Amino acid sequence: MESRRERASKRHRGSVDVAVSRDDLRDASDAALVIAIGRWQHDALAEAFRRHSGAVFALARRLLNDPAQAEEIVQEVFLRLWGTPERFDPSRGSLRSYLLTQAHGRAVDAIRSDTSRRRREDRDAQRATAAGYDLEREVGDVIVAEHVREAVAALAPAEREAIELAYFAGHTYREVAVMLNEPEGTIKTRIRSGMVRLRSGLAAAGHSPS
Amino acid sequence: MTSHLTHDEIRELLAVYALDAVDDDEAETIELHLRGCPRCRAEVADHRETAGALATGHEQAPVHLWDNIVSTLEEAPPLELARLLPLRAPRERRVWRVAVAAAAAVLIGVVGVRVVQQGDQINRMQSALEDRTVLAAALAAHGNPDARQAELLSADGVVLARAVLVPDGTGYLWSGGLPLTDPDRTYQLWAIVGTEAISAGVLGPNPSVAPFRITGDVTALAITEEVAGGVVASENQPVASGAVVEA
Repeated sequence: MESRRERASKRHRGSVDVAVSRDDLRDASDAALVIAIGRWQHDALAEAFRRHSGAVFALARRLLNDPAQAEEIVQEVFLRLWGTPERFDPSRGSLRSYLLTQAHGRAVDAIRSDTSRRRREDRDAQRATAAGYDLEREVGDVIVAEHVREAVAALAPAEREAIELAYFAGHTYREVAVMLNEPEGTIKTRIRSGMVRLRSGLAAAGHSPS
Repeated sequence: MTSHLTHDEIRELLAVYALDAVDDDEAETIELHLRGCPRCRAEVADHRETAGALATGHEQAPVHLWDNIVSTLEEAPPLELARLLPLRAPRERRVWRVAVAAAAAVLIGVVGVRVVQQGDQINRMQSALEDRTVLAAALAAHGNPDARQAELLSADGVVLARAVLVPDGTGYLWSGGLPLTDPDRTYQLWAIVGTEAISAGVLGPNPSVAPFRITGDVTALAITEEVAGGVVASENQPVASGAVVEA
């Protein structure tokens, strides 16, 4: 008897008869992909995976410092898109942002759970020893687009540091305040002003997230 | 403590919240607020798009991950449902709901005992099917070059809903910006034709995407809040309204 995996991969290969529509999917908008996912088309989910799984995986891995755990998160996020595509509202943001938001939330939950706390402490210690936090460097690692680097470079160093500790290291603003020995209110303000500056920097460079 | 956050305090936390960097109790308070505040929801969405720009990875997810996902999809039952029910814009909401139920009923016969034994699952599938089909039809209408559109704004200019109307009189309303109302209340959609407001549908207390059908030269759409079940003619001020314009 063939295994589920074999049947699954056979189905995947067996869908050559929809090769034309798969080509169409390559050019489809994210909204059109979600339509097709809403019609239970595996190929549409495959295309969404092709487009966005790299960013989702990179973000989860960066946060967790654990490829296996990051893979679990990617899987959960795409299965959720498959299970409840109607939760994606195209008028409220891009599909990429929707998927990244979910991955980030799940990764942060994992980080804050007890099992991961130790791992993060180790990782933080290693990073702090190596070079300290530097969003520009973090972004330099993962970012392709020059205009994103420019928008990040326009941040005040203190804003950059607060955003990096919160977003890429998964700390709460209260934890960031303790780490940087600053009042909580200051950290809230830095994160907000930094995010607003980033957004206007990206907008000025004509960056369109979708 | 955090349940007493003022609107200003919540606004100060929105960027932090968008980065998942608030405490759990603060997150709960903010989420409760966001359900009723489209302006703050829009700000969170902006911050998340911005954060997403930072997260662009050029590495690839491991290839076996997709195999894992596909092998899980294989267990999902509704592929047959999708084939049975070709995507088509509904002619009228109520008739269409019956049609969905009928198609699903046929499917129960097709799929057989395994599905019949899983009554709850059938209900969930019917409901999921309905949501998905409405969403798919709505997105398709959105891409129709002949469609006309409307943005429905609150009195202070916040977009609470969007609608798209295709020439055959079918329309779809995205009303995700409307605050959740009480279960004994409902939102109701009105089409302005000439000087008349014609009811285009009762949306329920927590509408998301809804199809409607309206004939005649619709110049504007409006949403009111009414008692559950809706009314024949509204005496309430609209919570949102907007002109129907060429896309």
